[in-house]
Amino acid sequence: MKKLLSLVLALAMLATLAVSTAGAEELKNLNTYETKARELETWNIHYSQAAADLNVLCNLIDGLLTNDNHGNLKLNAAKSYESPDGGKTWIFTLNEGMTWFDKDGEVQADVKASDWATGLEWVLNYAKNDSYNASMPMEMIAGAEEYYNYTKALTESDGADAVKALDAEGKFAEMVGIACDDEAGTITYTLIDQLPYFPSVATYNCLYPLSAELIEEVGVDGYRDITWEDMWYSGAYTITYYEYQNQKVFTKSPNYWNDANCKRFDTVTVKMVESASVAFQLFKNGELDHVSLDQATLQGIYNETSDAEYKANLVEARPTKYSYQIHLVYSKNLEDGTTPDTNWNTAIANENFRKSLYYGLDLTNYFARTNAINPLSCQNFCYTGNGVAFTSDGTDYTKLVRAELGLDYDYTAYARVNAELAAQYKAKAIEELTAKGVTFPVTIDYYIKGDSDVAAQTAKVLENIFSECLGDEYVVLKTNTYISSLANEVRKPRKASIHINGWGADFADPINFLGQETYNDTAAYYSNAYSNCNDNDDPDLIAAYQEFTDLVTAAKAITDDMDARYAAFAKAEACMLNHALVIPCSYEVGWELTKINNYSKVYSMYGMQAYRYVDWETNDVPYTTEQMEALAAAYAAE
Amino acid sequence: MIKYILKRLFQSVIVILLVVCVVFFLLRLMPSDYFFTEDELIKFTEAQKYAKLERLGLMKICPTCDGSGLINEDACPACRESPQASKGTGYVNRSVLAQLGDFFSDMLQMRVFNAKGKEVKSIEPVSLISYLSQKFSGEEPFGELKDGYSIRMMFNLGKSIRLEKNQYVTDVITAKMSVSLSIGLVSLAVSLVLGVVLGVLQARYKDKLFDHIGTGYTVVVNAVPRLVIYTIIMIAGASLLGLPMRYDATAEKPWLTMVLPVVCLSIGSTAGYMLWTRRYMVDELNKDYIRLAKLKGLSDRKVMFRHVLKNAFVPLAQYLPYSILLTVGGSLLVETFFAVPGMGPELTTAIGRYDLPLVQGIVLLYATMGIIGVFLGDLLMTLIDPRIKLTGKGDAR
Repeated sequence: MKKLLSLVLALAMLATLAVSTAGAEELKNLNTYETKARELETWNIHYSQAAADLNVLCNLIDGLLTNDNHGNLKLNAAKSYESPDGGKTWIFTLNEGMTWFDKDGEVQADVKASDWATGLEWVLNYAKNDSYNASMPMEMIAGAEEYYNYTKALTESDGADAVKALDAEGKFAEMVGIACDDEAGTITYTLIDQLPYFPSVATYNCLYPLSAELIEEVGVDGYRDITWEDMWYSGAYTITYYEYQNQKVFTKSPNYWNDANCKRFDTVTVKMVESASVAFQLFKNGELDHVSLDQATLQGIYNETSDAEYKANLVEARPTKYSYQIHLVYSKNLEDGTTPDTNWNTAIANENFRKSLYYGLDLTNYFARTNAINPLSCQNFCYTGNGVAFTSDGTDYTKLVRAELGLDYDYTAYARVNAELAAQYKAKAIEELTAKGVTFPVTIDYYIKGDSDVAAQTAKVLENIFSECLGDEYVVLKTNTYISSLANEVRKPRKASIHINGWGADFADPINFLGQETYNDTAAYYSNAYSNCNDNDDPDLIAAYQEFTDLVTAAKAITDDMDARYAAFAKAEACMLNHALVIPCSYEVGWELTKINNYSKVYSMYGMQAYRYVDWETNDVPYTTEQMEALAAAYAAE
Repeated sequence: MIKYILKRLFQSVIVILLVVCVVFFLLRLMPSDYFFTEDELIKFTEAQKYAKLERLGLMKICPTCDGSGLINEDACPACRESPQASKGTGYVNRSVLAQLGDFFSDMLQMRVFNAKGKEVKSIEPVSLISYLSQKFSGEEPFGELKDGYSIRMMFNLGKSIRLEKNQYVTDVITAKMSVSLSIGLVSLAVSLVLGVVLGVLQARYKDKLFDHIGTGYTVVVNAVPRLVIYTIIMIAGASLLGLPMRYDATAEKPWLTMVLPVVCLSIGSTAGYMLWTRRYMVDELNKDYIRLAKLKGLSDRKVMFRHVLKNAFVPLAQYLPYSILLTVGGSLLVETFFAVPGMGPELTTAIGRYDLPLVQGIVLLYATMGIIGVFLGDLLMTLIDPRIKLTGKGDAR
């Protein structure tokens, strides 16, 4: 009955929408933007793991699968896929008539099944791809790790040139679990174990194709540093204009194999802008078709103090795939970058100290920096992002975690904050840490980029939050700045006490999140690059990390029952959060003015497909709040 | 005169070489970590870092161990000498002199193009010296070339390593320069014509209303921060005239997107030309020969344009070639403000992203332009005013 009612309501809203948008035309040319900090670094799709690159490249080359606007897997270069043995072997069959073409649309070669073997060989070849994207295939595909190690050893013994000469035949074909039949157009992956989520990996660039003919034309080094003018395309768009830090123009590929079945813009122009406020000026002048609003502009419009004419067009954006966390650094150095900061390292290893932060910090004002109207839309209680994995009955995995934690989202109050509990943990922490020689207040060094006013304002808000929630006699958040490289100037010398960072999954399984935090694991990105947890010798901290890591390992081993796997991961994640090893922070849910129907876009909480400019619905004038709500309701009822 | 020109040319070449060498050495004092992206810094092993530095020409495989990976300081004198060499990587730092040598020897390079005029990437270009020596010894430097392939000599300053990855610096600079040049020359023409004409009128109507308005304009333009002026022009242009706020080479009417940047670029230099034209004109107007001309009955117009302006223009002319060449460099502020993909922000961006070859190329260009500009300015002055001598003693420049 509820479903029926919501369907009727959605239909009614859609009818209203149909009347209100009658006569509106769709955009043929889309004008969008990126901030300059998000300029792409490489045109080589295999040599990147950065969203700034993949948001561009996913439009230029087609992978086996993509996602639809609900995040479901959708066929792309593959016309079908199946696993005959419950998830250990996966067979993808390619569409016919796919071609590689250059930027002018001139056909260069056919897209063949063996291009996927060439692509995987490139990724796993130590001398060719510098280990980019190698970790996922190594963990999943039979023989991939062995081949990677083989190329690594060979590079060290015979030099890089010998290894660069290897191709997808010979040793690779012998060792790695991929078999390609160009005649039948099939690619068969043999995995290490049953992995039901493997098709979601097929949306990611580690399993993207590469033409051997292109390598022959440009050479190995030429492909590694390929440019948009020399690369081969097989996707919905080609690049027809590119100026670094200025503009790139995607033009509908003239030879696109799937032209009849998808809706594309004639051109998509991505303009690089300095900031959100510049983007807003361009939107006002009709030079952009959507804009995300910064706090000042949003408040001006919402409170009708400036640009009030846009109030009726304010639209709350959908959350991005990034789950933001406050990463605690367990092995930190002082300002000189070499002397250990014993005071902080001792304090942060204490669970009561961490829990006082976990329960004490009311981040509502911090969320308001992104979403001044509904700040609690940004709250995040889990480490894994929403919508990454679902149980067999459609329950979001994060709901299992929240159930374990005994927390749920309440959009009227910030449910995690518990001042009483925080005060208890604070008192215990002061007692225990004073005995260990820790002096209070404990300084929390937080680093932001020196030239960013937005970051400076946000840091000020954070300073106030720490001060008001925990007291200046207990902790003091000290904002410091770096010039250009966070890795060089802050992370490597270990100068920061905390980092606030977002992580988005590459494929649809919680291991992609939790695997980044495990103890004594070289593949755990955050443990090694951010928290340095392996270098703190506090036995309680090690025990907590070990408990979490053991639970992750046990969960990872469950491959025949996904519900049991997710339940086990939920326990592991709850363990990590109950020990406050990491503090979940926020989601990005801002406000925008847009001519794009947000509910028509590819929407996936994992992978790299979200920026594919395919099948987008648009309007020639900005949507009103009511129109977007009607679209949201219709979307929810689908 | 020819002797003077040759002398100045020789001096110019020496200065340019010195500038290039100083910049080259300074850039190589930077820590090598700046050559890596944030991702690479986290991800790369030491051996991978060295391999990348080798690709950039900053390291080389140790000649003793030939990259075997089995070396250590005891066995390998080359590694022992190199302070940054890491045990077992097989790589050592290349001396800066060797890198500088490569930079100069590869400046003229032979490149192979296919029938469509596209450079064949898989065949590495060779330096002119190496090409000629192989040719001389009877070898074919690029092996057997396919039909339709051609070899061309190109000026080479290396390839961009970050900003325009793998693009020749000369290609990057040429593309950027053409944008800056087109906007710069239009604005220079506008400001020169407007500035000189308005300056002449100010001098003609000295201490009258027009002169006061002109002086007011000059003071305001010089006193108010440029960014404020540009913001006003941008908002007024966009909201009142509907002009685009960003330069867009792909727009239907690209010239329309140039209007606001040109106005902004012209506004300051117009004030400059007005100020100096008025000042030199007023100076000239007070001289005896002008009084004599007036007494002889020459019309005001003739006096102003045939005598006063001609003489007043001499000091301005000195800076004209420099100004024209300066347009090649673009304007950092205007180009950033209106998203013009020109030379203006290129140097600061290249420095910020540690794109060494691009920084070297741009500095070389700026040094060359500056020196040629001053040189041509001197020559132009002698052409306009034959009394000025560049050679000889005494009053010569």
